[in-house]
Amino acid sequence: MSRYNRILAGGFSLLLFLSLISLFSGAQSLTVKTVISTLINGGDADFIINQYRLPRIFIAVLTGIGLAVSGVLTQGIIRNPLASPDLMGISGGAGLSACTVLLIRPDINISWLPPAALLGGFSAALFIWLLNRWHNPSPARLALAGIAVSAFLTSCINFLLVLHPVEVNSAMIWLTGSLWGRSWDYIWPLLPWLIILVPFSFYLAWSLDLCALGDETAGALGVNTQRLQIMALASAVALASVCVAVCGTISFVGLLAPHLARLLVGSRHKLILPAAALTGALLVLSADTLARNLAPPLELPAGVLTAVLGAPYFIFLLHRYKGW
Amino acid sequence: MNITYPVRKKQQLNTLLLITALLSGFIISLYTQSEFLLQVNDIWQILTAYDSSDIKQQVILSLRLPRSLTACLIGFNLGAAGLLMQGLTRNPLASPTLFAVSSGAACVTALNSLTFAMVSGLPSEAAAFIGALTGGLLVFLLGGGLNTQNNSLRLILAGIAVNGLLTSLTRAALIIADDTAYSLLHWLSGSLSDIDWLRWTQLWPLSLAALLLAVSTCRGLNLNALGEQTAFSLGINVTWLRIRVCLAVLLLTSISVTIAGPIVFVGLIAPHLARALCGRSHFILLPVSGLSGAALVCWADLLSRSIVPPAETPVGIITALIGTPFFIYLVVQGKS
Repeated sequence: MSRYNRILAGGFSLLLFLSLISLFSGAQSLTVKTVISTLINGGDADFIINQYRLPRIFIAVLTGIGLAVSGVLTQGIIRNPLASPDLMGISGGAGLSACTVLLIRPDINISWLPPAALLGGFSAALFIWLLNRWHNPSPARLALAGIAVSAFLTSCINFLLVLHPVEVNSAMIWLTGSLWGRSWDYIWPLLPWLIILVPFSFYLAWSLDLCALGDETAGALGVNTQRLQIMALASAVALASVCVAVCGTISFVGLLAPHLARLLVGSRHKLILPAAALTGALLVLSADTLARNLAPPLELPAGVLTAVLGAPYFIFLLHRYKGW
Repeated sequence: MNITYPVRKKQQLNTLLLITALLSGFIISLYTQSEFLLQVNDIWQILTAYDSSDIKQQVILSLRLPRSLTACLIGFNLGAAGLLMQGLTRNPLASPTLFAVSSGAACVTALNSLTFAMVSGLPSEAAAFIGALTGGLLVFLLGGGLNTQNNSLRLILAGIAVNGLLTSLTRAALIIADDTAYSLLHWLSGSLSDIDWLRWTQLWPLSLAALLLAVSTCRGLNLNALGEQTAFSLGINVTWLRIRVCLAVLLLTSISVTIAGPIVFVGLIAPHLARALCGRSHFILLPVSGLSGAALVCWADLLSRSIVPPAETPVGIITALIGTPFFIYLVVQGKS
């Protein structure tokens, strides 16, 4: 088995292990026997296991994969180590529009949330792109502009939440990202998008490796760079948006996962993508598990924990970054 | 050596306009949006025919006046703090918000008010001061220090990361403390809703001391604008100047955060406004920047009360909505 396969296998078994921990731990601790019998036949703990913990594990893994893949594509296209969907304001835009829809029409069918988030995410991306066209800032300044845009969008969300007060845990979903109260209902709107977009991203990864050689070389090797960039960015924005529609703006996953994957498996996108997807899933799942178990029965938002991990790493990246 | 800056007619006119804006905001905020249907006339009555049994006059004197005064003074403090930071670092994006000074103060204040925290038991001003110091120091240490002229962007990005970290910690602390406390979320976004005379008496003496300290640094900051080397060769003790400026900034920010929570982006906008209105000398810029900040917070507070009339919007959300587009503008305009 090559080193790469070993890393993937290790990551996968870690993910399985973590899922088991997440299934067993929580405000109410359950024995192995109860959990197994509940998984098979239901029973007294049916709600806790099958309706509460299990869907959350699935959603954490799915959103982790989505955010991480989106981060890989964004960094690959912009070739800026500081870029990621949440720092570019894309998550903010998606969060704002999903939150608006939900606050104005609280009884709306959940499957409308991803399209709404897509609209917001693409608008924010368009704005950043126009900014880039008009002013052509340096990469670091572009990252700062993205952060400024997401600060604006976050303050809009904050404002909306003040106008329409909701329960504090739901507010936290849109302010920092959280998997609070996410049930099976939220998986079905999310799943079809990911089933289409994740394989598509894997398909794009091959051409992205050629792009890393520079636009001209890639062109000479037969890659239509402009079309590739547009497709990759579009799927990055779409992935980030649908994930945000379900569990809010969980920050820094899209930044951290690609970097960690790159540390582990080198810089080829074909290799990075699966590794980053695993890392992202691990990050969100462990953040959510910790969030549920730090002070039960209270819940911290998962986004708070990813921020505590991600912000120092971002500063570390700033130290290594040389292109000022 | 003193640099003299000619004061032009236009600058005087601009300052006059600014003061008018501030005064009108102040007076309007004294009487609008009240259950008691107050009018301008009632304010006039207080001045000319004071009657201690008149409920309207009492409402203005005991509820409205301290709030408006506090709004103005906090705005003044934040505007002055932003100017000092921009003057010292010569970085147009420097401000208490972006250098995590505000969020540091808020974080330690929140931790302090919880029972499980180690720092618990300190007076809230001291906690805020420690927090402001920690936040600012972290940013400077992690962002590469004061001497990095060409790395002002790195400083800002580090500031934003530290800011995010501290805000997350504050949110976690608040949720663990009380998961139903929506009002704490309000305080986190900066709110002037429960200000009384007691708060005002906490606020003004320290603010006054810090502002006097700030005035004493103006000459140094004027020379510092020419570059640290030049300032040094003109006889300015740069280290001592930095210490005094930092102390003034920390005091101004932490006392404001103690009273009203982090009211964001005022310290970023006010100095730019002041520079557009009144030139370059810090002796003039300091009061003008303060007045701009005061006018900003005063009007933002006014707005925050009139959006959903009986309820209150935290004033910090309004300043964030005004401030972030300005932040985007500054980022895009700046030369890289």
